[in-house]
Amino acid sequence: MLLTLDTADTRPLHEQVAGAIRRAIAEGECAAGDRLPPARELSRALGVNSNTVLRGLRSLRDEGLLEFRRGRGVTVAQGAARRSVLVDRVRDLVAEAARFGYAKADLIEMIRVVP
Amino acid sequence: MTEKRGSAHWAALGWVAGVLALLLALPLLTAGRLPDRVATHWDAVSGRPDGSMPLWAAAVFPALIWAVVAAVVAAAHMWRGPATAWGGTVLLSMGVTLAGAQAAIVRANMDHARWRDADSVTPWVVGALVAGAAAGAAGALTARRRTPGAARPTDPPRMDVPPDRRVVWLASTSNPWLHALAAVAGAVALVALVLTACGATDPLWPLIVPFALVAVASAACASVQVLVTENGLRVAFGPLGWPARRWRPADIESAHAERRTPAQVGGWGYRLSGLGTTVMLRAGGCLVIRAKGRNFAVSVDDAERGAALLNRLSQQAANTP
Repeated sequence: MLLTLDTADTRPLHEQVAGAIRRAIAEGECAAGDRLPPARELSRALGVNSNTVLRGLRSLRDEGLLEFRRGRGVTVAQGAARRSVLVDRVRDLVAEAARFGYAKADLIEMIRVVP
Repeated sequence: MTEKRGSAHWAALGWVAGVLALLLALPLLTAGRLPDRVATHWDAVSGRPDGSMPLWAAAVFPALIWAVVAAVVAAAHMWRGPATAWGGTVLLSMGVTLAGAQAAIVRANMDHARWRDADSVTPWVVGALVAGAAAGAAGALTARRRTPGAARPTDPPRMDVPPDRRVVWLASTSNPWLHALAAVAGAVALVALVLTACGATDPLWPLIVPFALVAVASAACASVQVLVTENGLRVAFGPLGWPARRWRPADIESAHAERRTPAQVGGWGYRLSGLGTTVMLRAGGCLVIRAKGRNFAVSVDDAERGAALLNRLSQQAANTP
């Protein structure tokens, strides 16, 4: 799989790692059920600490994009490609809302009243 | 090219015929000084002869082995084409070993009335084996040196990377059969070790050592991790990712993807052949690089993009002084 990092990115490293893998999933680099390379290999590839990689992977698991299975390693969840596109747009929305001074709770309230 | 291949074929044919003649002629020409039955097998410990054959059989038997070896190599070449460069290595080492062993047998039997009086052959057989291994190694090295440079495509794949992006490529391959082989061999070695440790049987070192070696070697060759970053190519073996081979982008002359089969490179695992070094885990796409005048290939999926990224990186390394 091909992983792309933005060298000008100033976000925390674990978020950049999660972002690179999220983009790879969205672009079909790895399909549902595929096993991700081991964290050690990812950390070598991205030039970051493997704890940082694991932190990024855990946040992707919490987003429902990855599954951690004992003995099977980390696999891409079913429907992860579509979900990752949606998650990306939600993140952008949250960032934009923050710039205009709206908290997440305000956004959730707005989403609730959308028919 | 065809002419060169033709001359290689004639050289191989001459070698096969020459060794065959030698194997037959050695006992037959010295028949006057040999016993009717010649010793052909020796006890490994005492060095005394413990098996014999009639003179004609002693002449024909090694020749038959040689003929079968030559036929197998020839058949492999016909089916798989000239890429099966291991054939030359096999012919060289087997020819030297067989001829050496035959010479040892004739020498040991010479001027003895009965086969049981034959001399020991141990140093000669050891010498023949060493000479055979050396000849095989020399053949393999020559084949490797002659690695065809023309085999790479004139238009290697290339990838565009925007200047503010860092792109890395990861891939891995594993072979479940080699994993199973490693597990079985490891289990046998472990059971033998436990039996030895408990004192239940005599020490089983002849069983433990080779099985443990097979387990380690096949586990190391059962999976590879291939990584392309701005530091170059890294190919890591086995579950621990160690040992690993590395190439810097500046060392890589070109990279491309190519289909290869185990038959072309002489089997599975870490192979040296006329195509260069190949880490063969499955038939199909391989990432092939040419670095420092040598070819290295690893069987891995999605090799085109790996090669494209490597070409991009090596070009970048060439442009920045």
